[in-house]
Amino acid sequence: MPPRRAVPPRRFLFLPAPQIAALCRSGARALRRAPETMNDIGIEIGADDVDVDAVVARIQKAVDEKIAAGVYADARLAAAERTNLAQLKNDEQFAGFYLRCLRDAVYVDISDFEIRERRARFAPFLVRLKKGIWSLLKFYTYRLWSQQNQVNGLLVTGLESVDEKYAEKIRALEARVAELEKRLGAASSPPAEKGG
Amino acid sequence: MVAPRSIAIVSPRYPDGATVGGAETLLRRFAERLAAHGLDVAFLATCARDHFTWANECPADVRRVNGVEVRRFPVSPDRDPALFHARQAAISRGETLTRAEQEEWLRHSVNSDALLDFLRAEGKRFDRLLAGPYLFGLVRAVARAFPDRTLLVPCLHDEPFARQSVIGEMLRAVRGCLFNTEPERDLAGRLHGPEACRGAVVGLGLDPFEADPRAFAARRGLGAPYVFYCGRREAGKGTPLLTDYLRAFRARTGRDVALVCAGSGPLDSAPFIHDVGFLPEKEKHEALAGAVAFVHPSALESLGIVLLESFLAGTPALVRAGGEVLRWQCARSGGGLWFRHYPDFETELELMLDRPDLRRAMGERARTFVRREYAWSAVESRLLQALETL
Repeated sequence: MPPRRAVPPRRFLFLPAPQIAALCRSGARALRRAPETMNDIGIEIGADDVDVDAVVARIQKAVDEKIAAGVYADARLAAAERTNLAQLKNDEQFAGFYLRCLRDAVYVDISDFEIRERRARFAPFLVRLKKGIWSLLKFYTYRLWSQQNQVNGLLVTGLESVDEKYAEKIRALEARVAELEKRLGAASSPPAEKGG
Repeated sequence: MVAPRSIAIVSPRYPDGATVGGAETLLRRFAERLAAHGLDVAFLATCARDHFTWANECPADVRRVNGVEVRRFPVSPDRDPALFHARQAAISRGETLTRAEQEEWLRHSVNSDALLDFLRAEGKRFDRLLAGPYLFGLVRAVARAFPDRTLLVPCLHDEPFARQSVIGEMLRAVRGCLFNTEPERDLAGRLHGPEACRGAVVGLGLDPFEADPRAFAARRGLGAPYVFYCGRREAGKGTPLLTDYLRAFRARTGRDVALVCAGSGPLDSAPFIHDVGFLPEKEKHEALAGAVAFVHPSALESLGIVLLESFLAGTPALVRAGGEVLRWQCARSGGGLWFRHYPDFETELELMLDRPDLRRAMGERARTFVRREYAWSAVESRLLQALETL
């Protein structure tokens, strides 16, 4: 299968550097995941008998493996799921999946970037103009986004810590319940019959 | 038990083209089919068309439509919309309402004293009253006034309104319920106990049709493959999720897939989204037949009429795993796949695009299923049996 199209970066020349970097990252990610298409799951079907339960089970297994491998750790997914949160919150893997998406999106790239011009005519002039505009905006933009990065990072770290804390608490409670059930079972089991 | 000869069907709105609503459409079809069987059938509704304002837009009159006596009555003027919306919003937020607050919610929903007066005055003319859907004050008022003769057509969804205790009381008090599907009946039992799921599963009959799968795209100038949605566009129906998912799908895979949306309500604007509004039946069938898949992102359905129509068109569906009824329809028909989240959706839509053989096989199975299970002959038989035995 040919590699899929990445978002053409030249359309975003007038965007701030962080957005360009984010778009390039997502484009690169799309290219990286290109070989992992549905056909790799290799669903065998007969012409007149499709077992959709089996098809869905197979898809879900393959998708779960891909999620675990980080294939879907993509900020665009977190955005796409904004109206599906009520359904997803019951999914055991939801918190981990969503947090991975957030972690991937949390730091806005504020490093500098190459300014180019796709129009040949007046290109040197336009490049100089853009560089001039960017040099005026850079100070304010860096200051703003570095603070935003700090807030984003703290929020995700906080969420991860809450998630880990409660996961640990639940594990401890489950172990305790299992222990209590074991003891209760031992105490209430009828005495073994004698003889025989 | 003697079979009833005279039936009144009560619903807040009469579906006459400009009014859209699956439950009302189902009740109208019941009315016309029963009339065709020689029963005396009246459809009693309010003069309202808009389920947000409940304004009296139609005249209070009596007409005969396809053998059914259609009577419209004015909505009672003493409702307080602000109080209704406050209670409705509280329920939606998952707050626990007191008994008095639940009563206020229904009292200030749509009601018609004139309709109730008519039913009282007509005395025993009607052997059975079929009333639905469940969440309107008018339906509850009829069920409370005539519980022994009322067969509720609840069209129940798993939503906060369905969990209110007044709804449970209504389900338990009436003579029985006509459910659309087994999962809907199970939901009633799960929410309000075994007494709430007495009744029969009937469903809705659908007439088979043939449609040219190329006609819609040719007429509308669509070059790219498209997925289709038809119905109300609102958060409860999942349309924002559908547009978000398709936007992400196009961005991540680079594949040009359009979204064609028919129906009414707000919709995101994007070059790949085609809002075609209300479509005539023939064009809707063509749009269904030409789609890569019919995507139904709603988790709140009691039957899924358009889903079944897409099956009749031979088009497979993608539905949300959380939508119990639609998932059940897909699983038992073999005509659709269900997704838990975006990664499932992406994988399944790619499958639909890349595997026309699978799409065709699923579509064929789905078409055969609907022709068997939802043929009018099968549905009428279930409906008449329910009327005789309940």
